[in-house]
Amino acid sequence: MTLAPELSAALVERLTAFADDELVLGHHQAGWTGHAPLLEEDIAIANVAQDEIGHAVAWLELRAALDGSDPDRLVFFRAASDYRSAWLSEQPRGDWAFTMLRQYLFDAYEAELLARLSASSYRPLADTAAKVAREELFHLRHSRLWVERLAHGTDESRDRLVSAVAVAWPLMAQLLAPLPQDAALEAAGITYSSRDLEESVVAATSAELVRHGFALPPFAPVPAGDPRALRTEHLAPTLLVMQSVARSDADAQAW
Amino acid sequence: MTVDGQLPRWEVFKQDASSKAHAAVGSVHAADAEHALLMARSVFARRPSAVSLWLAPRWAVHEFTREQLAEALATPGTQLAAPMRYRVFIKSSDRRSMAAYEHRGEVVASGTSAALRAATPDELPLGMWLVEDAAVIASAPADAEAWFAPASDKRYKQQSEYAVSVKRHPATREGT
Repeated sequence: MTLAPELSAALVERLTAFADDELVLGHHQAGWTGHAPLLEEDIAIANVAQDEIGHAVAWLELRAALDGSDPDRLVFFRAASDYRSAWLSEQPRGDWAFTMLRQYLFDAYEAELLARLSASSYRPLADTAAKVAREELFHLRHSRLWVERLAHGTDESRDRLVSAVAVAWPLMAQLLAPLPQDAALEAAGITYSSRDLEESVVAATSAELVRHGFALPPFAPVPAGDPRALRTEHLAPTLLVMQSVARSDADAQAW
Repeated sequence: MTVDGQLPRWEVFKQDASSKAHAAVGSVHAADAEHALLMARSVFARRPSAVSLWLAPRWAVHEFTREQLAEALATPGTQLAAPMRYRVFIKSSDRRSMAAYEHRGEVVASGTSAALRAATPDELPLGMWLVEDAAVIASAPADAEAWFAPASDKRYKQQSEYAVSVKRHPATREGT
């Protein structure tokens, strides 16, 4: 299945954003390995991190089929300024409450997103989305469980969750904002209605958080034009760590 | 959470295929039943193969060694408790690949001593677990697609798949 050049270019942008969201989030969650509050959660969060990074690979392989790019080169040798990740993904790891709240917001977003992408007119995208959606169902159940328990746990767990909501919730606006090229993809039936996606995600997540008694702060303003033109200050130091091994020997045959 | 800071322990039983019996694979610590199920999936079913999980809180698992079984069978039983259903798990071998407690069926009895009388085979097994049926929680059949199916599509690399040649640094040889 071949796409018209302008649609192909638009889809490359979209897939890169999907991949970078998952890759950067997965990298942050992987930082819990050996540090999670329970041995079982240590394994569980490492699974989640691996899944998210695996999903990033899946999106980058779809991109590779369109433009011949090399997923490993994109991940390990791209400058922070060329990443397209959402601000929500770029936030530092934080405490367990922030970790689980961010994961919940991302999982709830992905549940709505992947259901729509599974109906894409671009078959490879629909197939990948259907595959990824299965694992995300488990992620969502896990992160939602923690949000509920931390919300009704102790004073400390609730306070920590309140602080996490204050940081994470406003950033949902930028995560959900369409890229400039998305309208063309939407018109071609390759992607979903961005407005409909945003409404569904906000409805589902705000209902869940309000159910637990949280007051939601306003959304952060989204830059006009390209909402993902700018990175947060957190990404460059994150990539410095993530890319250091690959960059130490760019020609290594195995690592 | 208990006073010593430990979350309650749950025994995990995994079924590898619908034709096989559930077998004990280990335990998890978790805050409640739902948390325990999710932890069991993460810890024991991340890789192939699994089709179903059962979990039981530790307090609902009654363990008997072969010696305890022999002694209990030789002692007249008392039947004070109300009848309840137990799931019976038997350990029949010490061989490492077969050492797990495997589900062999159910028994309804008034108390564990009556239950083990009813459930013990003629040839004494190496051990028996009686698990209170009412306390057992299970993964839902509808969850199998999200919990267990993805693992079967994945390629898990063994160490040997990485073409890494290990060369010792001279300093490490002289070190000790």
